[in-house]
Amino acid sequence: MNTFRFSTGALDTGALQREMRDERCGGFASFEGWVRNHNEGHAVTRLEYEAFVELAEKEGARIVEEARVKYGVTRAACVHRVGSLALGDVAVWVGVSAAHRDEAFRACRFIIDEVKHRVPIWKKEHYVNGDSGWVNCERCAMPAAHEHEHGHDHAHHHPAHAQPSPDYSRQIALREVGTEGQARLRGSSVLVVGAGGLGVPVLQYLAGAGVGRIGIVDADRLEPSNLHRQTWYALGECGQEKSSLAAARVRALNPDVRVEAHALRLDAHNAERLCAGHDLILDCSDNFTTKFLLNELALRTGKPVLFASVYQYEGQLQLVRGDNATACLRCVWPEATRDGLIGNCAEAGVLGPVPGVFGSLQALEALKLLMGLPGIKPDEMLIFDLVTLSTQRLRARRMPECEAHRRATSPAPAAPEELEMHFDSLADARNAGFVFVDVRDARERATDPIPGESLHLPMSKLLTDATSLELAGRYLLICATGKRSGAAADLLRSQGFAECRSLGGGLKRLKASA
Amino acid sequence: MNAPELSIRVQYFALLREQAGRSDETVTTRARDPRELYAELRARYPFTLPPEMLRVAINTEFGEWTQPLKAGDAVVFIPPVAGG
Repeated sequence: MNTFRFSTGALDTGALQREMRDERCGGFASFEGWVRNHNEGHAVTRLEYEAFVELAEKEGARIVEEARVKYGVTRAACVHRVGSLALGDVAVWVGVSAAHRDEAFRACRFIIDEVKHRVPIWKKEHYVNGDSGWVNCERCAMPAAHEHEHGHDHAHHHPAHAQPSPDYSRQIALREVGTEGQARLRGSSVLVVGAGGLGVPVLQYLAGAGVGRIGIVDADRLEPSNLHRQTWYALGECGQEKSSLAAARVRALNPDVRVEAHALRLDAHNAERLCAGHDLILDCSDNFTTKFLLNELALRTGKPVLFASVYQYEGQLQLVRGDNATACLRCVWPEATRDGLIGNCAEAGVLGPVPGVFGSLQALEALKLLMGLPGIKPDEMLIFDLVTLSTQRLRARRMPECEAHRRATSPAPAAPEELEMHFDSLADARNAGFVFVDVRDARERATDPIPGESLHLPMSKLLTDATSLELAGRYLLICATGKRSGAAADLLRSQGFAECRSLGGGLKRLKASA
Repeated sequence: MNAPELSIRVQYFALLREQAGRSDETVTTRARDPRELYAELRARYPFTLPPEMLRVAINTEFGEWTQPLKAGDAVVFIPPVAGG
């Protein structure tokens, strides 16, 4: 049988179940969707389902196949009704048989969630008062809430009549934009690195404005603590990859935009490949490592990068043109700048609208740059303090001794020294001869102690006084995530502690791999 | 100290604002340059960041730690930030 099909007649669930029988299987799970007598406060008397059959069958079959591969189940099928249904009728049936119950349950859940979300089916409800209404197509706006373990981006197909075309008339009306500006936006390609607090407003406005192509890079999955500032997403989507969620919303907002989701962290190996083909890079990341990597890339490739960073109630905006004449990020911050020393959103806190303001500014500047309108100058940094609402435009100069500019023009970039080490367990690290140095604060150390012996040198102390350590000591610095310990190792190295290292990924990574 | 007393407007950003407990203030100082001024302020506030990790801007231009201060200068101390 076809693994996904439509039926115009009532479903014989007994017969469907028999089709799932298989001697290799020890479990069978099924789901039935029924027509209920109410929806959003309206009493419903009957339903009609209409589908865009040709596309729907293909997408449905893809979903069932994805479930089969993802969960390793033996048989899976889904049948959906079309036409007129009465209360209590079975509208959709999903069945899965597998060796064990767990994968059967999970695959069954996956199939019904994805079908609801991806397959173009419309439902017309008939209410008691004689009214009727087509229930909005919610597939694109509301991605499925089950766990995604892969970075797929679905194409959502709609019948031509279902959706109006994007309309840019309100911005074309601006004398500075016009049809020429609109054409420029359509011909542009922007890479957005980070789909978080800054990335959300950036992506919304770039997509809304009709930027032709948008790449999204983000390795993170959505967490409940993101939502106060990343208000594009939904609580039910936590655990899913942000790059895929953001890409789905860009498509829903504006199907004109070609969007690519990259569920990975930008690093020295993939940076150039990810940025290829884009005219402008927007740094919406939340860490110095990514920012300085993008800075080097700008200088090496001559591609402009617009940086934004926030902290609590304030933020900084800087455009790096990537030429040899204007300031880069390193011209402003010549000292090695590592994550963990200054504090990020998680440690220092941030009020939701703060990245909203800076992301909106970043989008504004990006659109103006793409259309050749005046805006932020290459040799300045904008600083807004959103507590006092004071703004500063600070002039930054191209520093003659800038290391990043020098490296960009030298033939072979030097490999960064290995500061981080990865271990499967703390015992392995001890066996490798390391003395542990806990750089977390006393409270963290008390709640989540490191087994066995370790020195305690919290960041606040380490910044001012590391005299209790020996210069030649073989130290492994440890914190919760590897950020602070990385910064601490970097700092100690610069003070002559040649043999100190940081536990990559921190205690969190050890726990995850245990 | 025979350096003259100067009135300087100081602004703090990010971690410094947090540790100073204020965004800005006007100080009267005998400091001759931003380095001396920061050292003086460090005695007053629990600043953890060494000057090497900050930038100083004087009258809306990023400047040097050893640049002489004049009466009425507006001095900004600012660390890098990375939140997103």
